[in-house]
Amino acid sequence: MADLSQHLLGVSFQSPVLLASGTCGYGEEYADLIPLEEIGGLVTKAVSLEPRAGNPPHRVAETPGGMINAIGLQNVGLDRFRAEKLPWLRANLRAAQVLINVVGHSAEEYGAVVAGLDSDDGFLGYEINVSCPNVNDGTLFGVDQRALSGLVAGLRAITERPLVVKLTPNVPDIGVYARICEEAGADGLSTINTFPGMLIDVEKRRPVIGNVSGGVSGPAILPMGVYLTWRAAAAVSIPVIGIGGIRSGSDALQYVLAGASMVQVGTALFVDPSAPIQIQADVTEYMERHGFARLADLVGALTISDRP
Amino acid sequence: MDPPVRSWARVFEVRRAADDTYWIELDCPDVATDAKPGQFVMLGTGLGDVAAPFLPRPFSIGARQAHGRLGFLVRVFGAGTRRLSEVSPGDELLVLGPLGRPFRLPEDRSIVCLAGGVGLAPFLFVGAEARTGDHQVRIVYGERSGDRVFDPELIRRITGIEPELRTEDGSVGRRGLVIDDLDLGDQPQLLACGPDPMLRACFDLARRRGLPLQVSVEEHMGCGVGTCQGCVVLSSGGEWIKSCTEGPVFDARELAWQT
Repeated sequence: MADLSQHLLGVSFQSPVLLASGTCGYGEEYADLIPLEEIGGLVTKAVSLEPRAGNPPHRVAETPGGMINAIGLQNVGLDRFRAEKLPWLRANLRAAQVLINVVGHSAEEYGAVVAGLDSDDGFLGYEINVSCPNVNDGTLFGVDQRALSGLVAGLRAITERPLVVKLTPNVPDIGVYARICEEAGADGLSTINTFPGMLIDVEKRRPVIGNVSGGVSGPAILPMGVYLTWRAAAAVSIPVIGIGGIRSGSDALQYVLAGASMVQVGTALFVDPSAPIQIQADVTEYMERHGFARLADLVGALTISDRP
Repeated sequence: MDPPVRSWARVFEVRRAADDTYWIELDCPDVATDAKPGQFVMLGTGLGDVAAPFLPRPFSIGARQAHGRLGFLVRVFGAGTRRLSEVSPGDELLVLGPLGRPFRLPEDRSIVCLAGGVGLAPFLFVGAEARTGDHQVRIVYGERSGDRVFDPELIRRITGIEPELRTEDGSVGRRGLVIDDLDLGDQPQLLACGPDPMLRACFDLARRRGLPLQVSVEEHMGCGVGTCQGCVVLSSGGEWIKSCTEGPVFDARELAWQT
């Protein structure tokens, strides 16, 4: 039997398949439809220090081969997350690992969320969403090398738990940003967050999305995600978690061969909540067919040569 | 409420019911067993290809027929609903449901359903279920024009109710809107589903007459189960609340009605 487990971030994941932040709520919402204890784990909806109201509708719309969303990081905030959401994760997810996605408008806010969670039980570590505008100078943490380095180093000083940074694709060379995170003390990277995009309703001559622009996800971004994961993984020695348009075992394996140790499934859940289990079955079948006993042997096992 | 089910369902029948409008019956006993009027399902074509509809679309459950069969009113609005409307008997669609909060039907009042366009769908189920209970149900149903009026004979067959038809161009039924010249003599429970301006007018009517009103809202949805927070509507308290899990049926007083 093929071994899907992966050892990284100090623990053993029973499978390389995680549910992506923002697509699985706080776990409980999908508990009736996805056997969460049979997958690698999940990354929660973003948690900010204070509750966030989010954007006006429409917040989601279909695009060719995917979707665009501008939810606006609506979430219950740190205090209610600890009181209402974390207890469910603690009680129900034991074989599956939990990463808490953290957002903030300043390094201080990120730090306050991490400090506020750090002594709680029921989760492994953090995924830091750096696609948030920095209130101090208006740029995104994820595209500002100095801000990114300071943010990660600051969080490293606060917590000993695994710290994974979720990188934005909107940079000229993702390898540079990957190395900045590694040097500042990150334990892993998630590549990639959504691409900025926009849809216009030509009949109404208005933007489709209430926030005007949003993030594009789904199969349409798969090749960009694979490419950027390959670039990031080549630049660092910490593990990389591949994200972007995965809907099959073959898609997941593209990320693994590009260098990802794990993958996250997001938009595909909305289409079919059975996707994570099917992807695991597909990957197992592939490994048996190709004679790979351990998934780890496939990570980065890409052959690039002049001749096929 | 019982948890929703994810299931492939075979198309049993497709009937054209008006211009660009179809009545589609699916064999989905797992989903049908616990379905209640006002609830919805996500209907899609799965992950096998990425042609629209890639994301599943929410549909009010239009009726529960014998043998675990559910009926849906499908109107073509774009490429996704076009493809869903072109299914044939024997094809399979991926169904997730039943989802959302149903209508709460009072025991002691008659019920008047105010339906605008595809907002007719949940009231076919309300009407059909009321046959087996003691509820007196009326369906007042409006469309912009006669060519869009869902086959009245089919409404009668599904619900046993003679619909009170209104069209804005007067080509079928009475000319006007569903709320025009309404006889609401016996203090009924109002239920409404339709475009936003219509719901707003129903809210004003209910407030003026002092009548209870439940509305079923329509929003773009991602997941249908409360995770993506894509389908929000504004509550009377000023918060964005999810129409998939907190709705789609709301007491009208729970929502903010912009003037």
